[in-house]
Amino acid sequence: MEHLVPIGLNHYLTISAFLLGFGLFAVMTRKNAIVVLMGVELILNAANINFLAFSKYNGGMGGVMFSLFVIVIAAAEAAIALAIVINIFKIFKSVDVSSIDTLKE
Amino acid sequence: MHSLIQLSIVVLLLPLLSFVILIFFNRRLPRRGDFVGVGILGTAFAISAYIFWTVIVQTYDPAFRVAWNFTWIDLGNVPGIGPLTIKMGIVIDNLTAIMLAMVTLISLLVHLYSTGYMAGDKNYGRYFAFLGIFTFSMLGIVLSDNLFSIYIFWELVGLSSYLLIGFFFEKDSAADAQKKAFLANRVGDIGMWLGILILYSQFHTFSFAEIYANLAAGKFAMSNAWLTAAGLLLFMGCVGKSAQFPLHIWLPDAMEGPTPVSALIHAATMVAAGVYFVARIFVLLTPDALHVIAFIGAFTAFMAATIAITQNDIKRVLAYSTVSQLGYMVLGLGVGAYSAALFHLVTHAFFKACLFLGSGAIIHAMHHEQDMRWMGGLRKHMPWTFATFTLATLALAGLPLTSGFMSKDAILAGAIGFANVEGGGVYYIIPVLGFFSAMLTAFYMGRQIWLVFFGESRTHLKPADDHHSAHHAHGAHDAHNDDHHADHGVHEVSWNMRAPLVILAALSVFFVYSPNPLDGAQGWFMKMIKTPATVVASYQSAVGSGHSALKELPSAEAAGEHASEKGEHTFADPRQAELAHTSHAAHYTAIYISSIMVILGITLAGVVFVFKIIDPDKTAETIRPLYLFSLNKWYWDEIYQATFIRGSLLLSKMLYWFDRNIIDGMVNGAALIVRNVAFANNSFDKYVVDGLVNFTAFSVNTTGAVLRKLQTGKVQTYVVMLLAVVFGYFVFYFTRLIY
Repeated sequence: MEHLVPIGLNHYLTISAFLLGFGLFAVMTRKNAIVVLMGVELILNAANINFLAFSKYNGGMGGVMFSLFVIVIAAAEAAIALAIVINIFKIFKSVDVSSIDTLKE
Repeated sequence: MHSLIQLSIVVLLLPLLSFVILIFFNRRLPRRGDFVGVGILGTAFAISAYIFWTVIVQTYDPAFRVAWNFTWIDLGNVPGIGPLTIKMGIVIDNLTAIMLAMVTLISLLVHLYSTGYMAGDKNYGRYFAFLGIFTFSMLGIVLSDNLFSIYIFWELVGLSSYLLIGFFFEKDSAADAQKKAFLANRVGDIGMWLGILILYSQFHTFSFAEIYANLAAGKFAMSNAWLTAAGLLLFMGCVGKSAQFPLHIWLPDAMEGPTPVSALIHAATMVAAGVYFVARIFVLLTPDALHVIAFIGAFTAFMAATIAITQNDIKRVLAYSTVSQLGYMVLGLGVGAYSAALFHLVTHAFFKACLFLGSGAIIHAMHHEQDMRWMGGLRKHMPWTFATFTLATLALAGLPLTSGFMSKDAILAGAIGFANVEGGGVYYIIPVLGFFSAMLTAFYMGRQIWLVFFGESRTHLKPADDHHSAHHAHGAHDAHNDDHHADHGVHEVSWNMRAPLVILAALSVFFVYSPNPLDGAQGWFMKMIKTPATVVASYQSAVGSGHSALKELPSAEAAGEHASEKGEHTFADPRQAELAHTSHAAHYTAIYISSIMVILGITLAGVVFVFKIIDPDKTAETIRPLYLFSLNKWYWDEIYQATFIRGSLLLSKMLYWFDRNIIDGMVNGAALIVRNVAFANNSFDKYVVDGLVNFTAFSVNTTGAVLRKLQTGKVQTYVVMLLAVVFGYFVFYFTRLIY
């Protein structure tokens, strides 16, 4: 399998960049708050991939540790964010972020 | 304190007590309290008579003098003025004792008389109150020992005179007359006050005795012209109060007051206060000042006598006669006949009061008819009035055996002596005017007696409408029944009006004053009142032609010795000594000339009015300009109207114009400027300051409106912006890195 290019750092980074792009796209364009949260998860995981890729390359365990923290924080963030979404729904009877613009006041 | 001083204080305060009681309680007292006034004045007169008895009869000393004073106000050392202490005090000398008795006696008689004359008047009680305050102030003048308190009482008599002239204030003429009297007196009083201030500025005292002591010691720091000015300014007070030319105009109008008031105030006492005051300041008058006083007196005597000839109102004749006689007194003081002038003051007070009260009796009996043209024949109806009036008339005319004869001749002798001493032809004007006035006096009094008492009643000759208006003018006397004709109702007045007439007439006879009817100098009066030695050693400097005082001295001593040989008063001052000598020498000349003049005047009156050899009406037609000149009182009122009153009005109009246009113009101009500045300020504020503020607000508003659009409130927009900024940063940063 010599003719095959071994999977290197650039592949990881490219996947990560795509993930970040999808995540941002979802955050900026989706109307449903749940989908926006899913976009946020994508962004976080793109960061995780970057951490792990650089960690593997450098040979240290710092990146692994960081990504573990990010996963934990992402879980906590998801819990809080979903709680906020539920409250938004209670108040506005909707989870459509494009229709909620009370921040401007 | 001397017992006489204590008594005089009681005399002074009694009439004030009468005033206080009557002004507050007259309506609660029976008969409106007239008995209070009469009783109090009776007491005051009794005490005054005792003082008179003690001083004049028992002591009989020309130099008698007791004085007492106390510090009234002590302000210490006032910055800019010096020590300012005002003392009040009383001095009793022979003159004071005589004046005290005279004032209280006449006041008592007038009180008594008024109980008849004023009966039924609606302000009866108030009238007696006013008489009380007047008597109080007059006694104050008489007793004062200093210029300050004399000035206070001077103003008080002015006030009481004002109140009493306008007693029938419902009449316009009375209200006008009281105003006129007050204003004319004011002019004189201003001068008097300035004179007092000149003396005070020099000596820091108001007291007569201290001022004279300082003057005699030569402490007057300013020139003699200032002393003359001070004397003449003080004399202005007398000009106002004693109705001398040019301020004589108020006295005839003052006859609007009740007739007893005219007798008391405007004939006997208050108007004589001016003469009394000049006598008090006599020793400080310089020869220059005395010359002016003599000329004013002579002119007044003559002018008033010529006016009195043609007046038809019985009281106006007497008023002008009073002015004329006051002129005599002032003349007497001016020529240095001091005791003669004061003698005339006293004799005149009695016989003129008698004449006024007599005219009051006539007016009362004639139901307030005052015009002599409609009187006549009263001799039969009013024998008492006729007798007393005639006796007083003879005294006024100056017939021998009367008091007026002695006093007037003493003055005229003084005038001749004065003219001889001065030696100038122009100074003979004074005795000539004096003698001529004596003739005129005899003439107009003869006319009055004839028109009033002799012939037949002329009441029916009076035009009917005139008759009615005269009645209704006296609204204050509604109590009288006016329907019947005067000659039916004419009857002699009651005893309380008759008694004063008799007493006053009795006091007009010679033996009251002197055993020798031809020479008043032998009587007690002129022995008790001696010319005081002048304190102005100024004759030499006044003549001023290089004569030193030492050069004059021998002749002065010679004159003094000469006088003392005859048992006369001696003077250190050469001028006074010479005056005393020459006037004594002129005594018999004066008697002869004045007797001739008086007889001439009476004869003329007889020729014109009794025997009708000369028809008065035709004569008046022949010399019509002169007749009108006299009838219209030398046109003084018109002259004053045209000059001073018109002048004042013109001046006030000018000042009004000035006020309106210049002062108001300045104020309005300032307002206009302020208004314009304010307008400019307002515009600046509105357009520039407000413009800046509004522009700021506008810019902020516009910026905000633009920026507001960025804040959509949608989370996703913010995310886009965040990314855009981060992206922008990266672009910027990496661009920097590349270049």
